[in-house]
Order: sequence, then C-alpha cells, then structure tokens
Amino acid sequence: MRGDEFSFRDELAARGISRREFMSYCAGVAALLGLPASAAGEVAAAMETKLKPAVVWLEFQDCAGNTESFLRASKPSAAEVILDLLSVDYHETIMAAAGHQAEQALASSLEAHKGQYVVVVEGSIPTGADGAYCTIGGRSALQIAKEACKDAAAVIAVGTCAAFGGLPAASPNPTTALSVSDAVPGIKTLINLPACPVNAENLTAVLAYFLTYGRWPATDHYSRPLFAYGKTIHDNCERRAHFDGGQYVEHFGDEGHRLGFCLYKVGCKGPVTSQNCPNIRWNEGTNWPIGCGHPCIGCAEPNFWDRMTPFYEHLTGVPGFGAAADIDRIGLYATAAVGTAFTAHALVQLGRKAYDKRKAKVSVATATAAPAKTTSPARAKPAEADKPEADKPAPAAEKGREP
Amino acid sequence: MAAPAHPPAITTPVADAHDASPDLEPIYVWDLVVRLTHWTIVLSMLVLAFTGIDIARPFLDAPSGTGHFQTGWVRIIHYYAAIAFSLAVGSRILWMFLGPRRSGWRQFLPVSRRRQRELIGTFKFYVMLRPRPPHTVGHNPLAGLTYIAVFGLYLLMILTGFALYSVSAYGSYMKMWSFLLPIFGGAQGARWIHHVVMWLLLGFAVHHFFSALLMARVEKNGGMDSIFSGYKFVPKGSERDDDR
Repeated sequence: MRGDEFSFRDELAARGISRREFMSYCAGVAALLGLPASAAGEVAAAMETKLKPAVVWLEFQDCAGNTESFLRASKPSAAEVILDLLSVDYHETIMAAAGHQAEQALASSLEAHKGQYVVVVEGSIPTGADGAYCTIGGRSALQIAKEACKDAAAVIAVGTCAAFGGLPAASPNPTTALSVSDAVPGIKTLINLPACPVNAENLTAVLAYFLTYGRWPATDHYSRPLFAYGKTIHDNCERRAHFDGGQYVEHFGDEGHRLGFCLYKVGCKGPVTSQNCPNIRWNEGTNWPIGCGHPCIGCAEPNFWDRMTPFYEHLTGVPGFGAAADIDRIGLYATAAVGTAFTAHALVQLGRKAYDKRKAKVSVATATAAPAKTTSPARAKPAEADKPEADKPAPAAEKGREP
Repeated sequence: MAAPAHPPAITTPVADAHDASPDLEPIYVWDLVVRLTHWTIVLSMLVLAFTGIDIARPFLDAPSGTGHFQTGWVRIIHYYAAIAFSLAVGSRILWMFLGPRRSGWRQFLPVSRRRQRELIGTFKFYVMLRPRPPHTVGHNPLAGLTYIAVFGLYLLMILTGFALYSVSAYGSYMKMWSFLLPIFGGAQGARWIHHVVMWLLLGFAVHHFFSALLMARVEKNGGMDSIFSGYKFVPKGSERDDDR
C-alpha cells in the first residue's frame, strides 16, 4: 500500500485544493453513488485516513481517450488528483519513467502489492497473430494483462474498448480484439466502465466507494456498476417529456431542434444506452451531447460501432442490403411481394379452373365415345396425365367429389 | 374430445354453384380456445404492429406546446397489447399439449409418416406441381410446420420485447428479463430483432390470409368460416383421421 510518503491532505494542499473543494468533491461522489448526504463524511474520512491501493494503469489497443478524458480538465480537480495519486505506479501516458525502467516499475509494483493492487485497463486486447498487434517491451498485451490481472484485488476496464472490445473489435475486427473479460477469463472482481471515453467521475466514484467501504459497488449483468449504469440515458434525459409528448426533431436545425425537442427521430440511442450522462454530464458538469442538440450515439453499449451505426438512423440496416438499408422499406416490399405472389397464384388457379371447365365441356360434347381416362382434363404436363399417380387430377366424372 | 364425436349431419346439401355436391357433414375442428387465441393474436398483432411502427418511427407527432402525451399513450397501448399477445401465445402453446386432438402439437410437428408424405404433397400443390392438395381436415402438414416457425418468431418477439421492457422496468419483477439483453446483443440488438421480426410476421400474416382464402376456395370445406364457427365441412364418409 502507498501513502507512507505524504498524507493525502498534504498532497491536496500541495496541489492547491482547498478543504472546501475536497469536501464538496466527497459530497458529489456520495451523491453520484446514490449514498445519503451523511456518507460524504465517510468518504472524506476514508480518503484521508485509509491507505490507498496501488493502481497500475495498462493501456492497450485504444486512442488514450480515457486518459485524455480526465487530463483535459480546465483546472485540476480533486478527482484528477485522486486519480493521479492512485495511478502513479504505472501509467504509460503520464509516468516519467521510460523503457526498461518503466517495465521494472510495473513488475516491482505487482510483486510488492500482490493481491492488493488494482488494475485499470484501457483499450482492447488483440489476440490475433499471437498478440503481435500490440506489444509493450517485447511482450504482448495479452501476456501483460494476464500477468497483471492474476493477482489483482480488482480489475477495472475503463472505456468501451476495454469493457466490450469497442472500436478495435468492430467488424471486421482485423486484430481479433477482445474485451478484458473475454481475453482474460476468470477475473475475480471485474468492473466494466464502458463509454467512449469513460467519465472520470464514475472511475473516481468506484475507487472512492472501495476506499470507503472496502468492497466494490453492485454491478449488473455486464459487470457495470449500477449507480452509473442502472438507468438508461433516455430515462434521465432532460428532453424526455418531448419524447412522451410526441415532439421530435425531424431535421437538424429545424423548428423542433431550436425548441429543444426530442432527438429520437434523428437517431438518438439514449433509449438503449445505459449511463448516467444526463446526471453528471461531462467536463465538470458543463454539458453533454444531448444537452447541446446532438443525439446519443450509444458509445457505452456493447459493439456500439457495429450496432449503433448509422448514428443518425433508428436502426442498423439488414445484413446483405448495405449498412444504411432501410428495414421498413425492405419489410414493406417483402410483405407486398408475398401478397403479389399469392394473388398471382390465385389468378393462375382460377385460370386453370376456367380452362379445365371448358375442356371438360368440350370433351363431353365431342368425345362421348372416347374412353374417359385419356380425355381426363389434365392440364400442365401431358406426359404426366397418363401416369396413375395419386396426385393426378380428378377425372371429370368425379368432379363433384372434390373437396 | 371437446367436440362431439359425431355431430348431427346437416341434411340439406351445401350447394356448390357449379358442381353436383353430395351431402356434407360438419366437423368441429377448432375449439373455443383455438379460436379465441387466434383472434386475440390477430387483433393484438395489428395493434402491436401499428403502435410499434409509431414507436420506431413516430408519425403521430404532436404539435408544439405543452400537455401532450402522444408517444406515451402509444407505448402504453403497445404494452397492454403485448400482455394480451403474450398470454394468447402462451395459452395456445399450452393448449397444444392439453387441448383436443386437432389443437395438439402433432398438428404442427409432422411426426407421422403420413403427415410427412402429405407435407411434400401440399408443397407440390403450392408450387403448382399438382392440382389439389392432399385431403386434410385440420391444419395441412405444411401449414402446421409453418406455424412452428411462426410460434418461434412469436416467442422471439415476446422475449425481445420483455428484454427491451426490462431496460426501464425499475423495481419491477419484469427486471428479471434483463438477463436476456446480452443474448440479444444489448438493447439495440434486441430492438433490431424486434423490428425485423415484426416485418416477418406481417409478411406471414399476408401469406396466411391469402393461403386461407386459396385453400377455402380449393377445398370448399368452409375453411375461411371455420375460424369463426369452429366447423369445417367434409363430404360424408370421407376420412376424418387424416391427422394420425
């Protein structure tokens, strides 16, 4: 465990975070976690007194967007400081060490805090070509992940790439990229924090919860914490009343768009995306996509790049008809085709019937002497007419017995 | 079982406009449960398709202003229709095992040698390779097999619908269906399946209506009316145990 060099309060002071800011941060975390107001004190006490777990931050196949997400804040917030403190052992983007020195830091951290460190994984893990698509210090991402996750107290997969495979795993998935849960099966405690990128508030809240209570928050069937992913964006959306009321943006820039109507018809994936964006927003609560008039693209959902595209349409097209094929049009045509086929069938049947009738009449009138079986009103194939088959057309004399 | 074994024959011959007709006798084919579930499914499906299309691509827009609950009502109607639909489908599937012979699962799965043979015969009729379908009183074997697929689609519709409902079923027992979401590839995957299968079922409905019309015309057994009255009319003395 770290924390023997500085007290947390010293570190906060050194970074210019006031006590008031710290307390308001703790209250915010408690609220985000769905805890009562009294829990803010517990969170603060835990942060100040408890030893913080060592965190190693592994970065694999991704754009470093999750790292960027919390480094890009306009001013250093308590959340960033906490992340910074926690991730100091190994983080490729922000650590000072390089080369073998850095790899040494990782190895010694894993050794020193065996069974107690937390692994944060950013990016998907390529498994194609024996992992050759992503190697660090001569070892593949898969090797590194397996080794690091083996003795971890918990693994937190941040961002959609780590949680679900994300962009690298999108069709045709050239590197056979997998999510952490698929690439490294059997992790005892895995927490998925999907989103592109992860909202840093959710990551710090998970860590704060662990510091405060010594266990991890409750998760759903995708191992996502319920406090952040328990509700859909749609159900917390500030534009929801316009959805229920049937008031929609038809085109970007139209009257409805200017009035802040629901973005559902321009492809908003809020109804099928679970995240707390409407509540905590982004960039220190400044705004979020729907708040500024752009539909949700469902970045926090599994396979979002394949399933949520086209982003400005309700549904993905039908395979084989092109990505942007309109299901409704195909469905309508198919339904119409069925109707046409049956109408054609009925017409042919009626035509046949009329033909049979006339032929029967003619044969009765002209060929009374002829044997009945050769003049049976066979239609279609003359070759089959003489075959004594079960499905041979009924002779004229038996017509009345037809069902 | 539910039907009288030998209902009184109708003495007046059912006249055929063109052909001399022998006496026909009614056979009680579709019992009350079959007919009720059939019409519940038809009506709820029509409501579900109409409201479902509006939910996917809202066309019943409300004008601007406050106090509207347009899509809200459409969704509520969709949910109630879904309850009726699910119960009807569930009841019908149970009835396949509990109900009388002609409602039973053997009408759907062609397990007997005869049904398998006539399956091909019916198919030949549909593709115009033979002029008349084989003699059947209940479902013809091909129709029965088709309904197995249709019931599969019904179940898929119900399960994707439940999975989608579970997304927002906070604090409700319906939340238990959320385990289905990963199977369908998340809520968007479930939504896609739900939408595409709706079109498959609408296509089937058109097919079903036309082929019922066609068969009623070819078989002249009152097939179209049978789903209202329960009775089909077959020539006296013709085989009744065609479904064995």
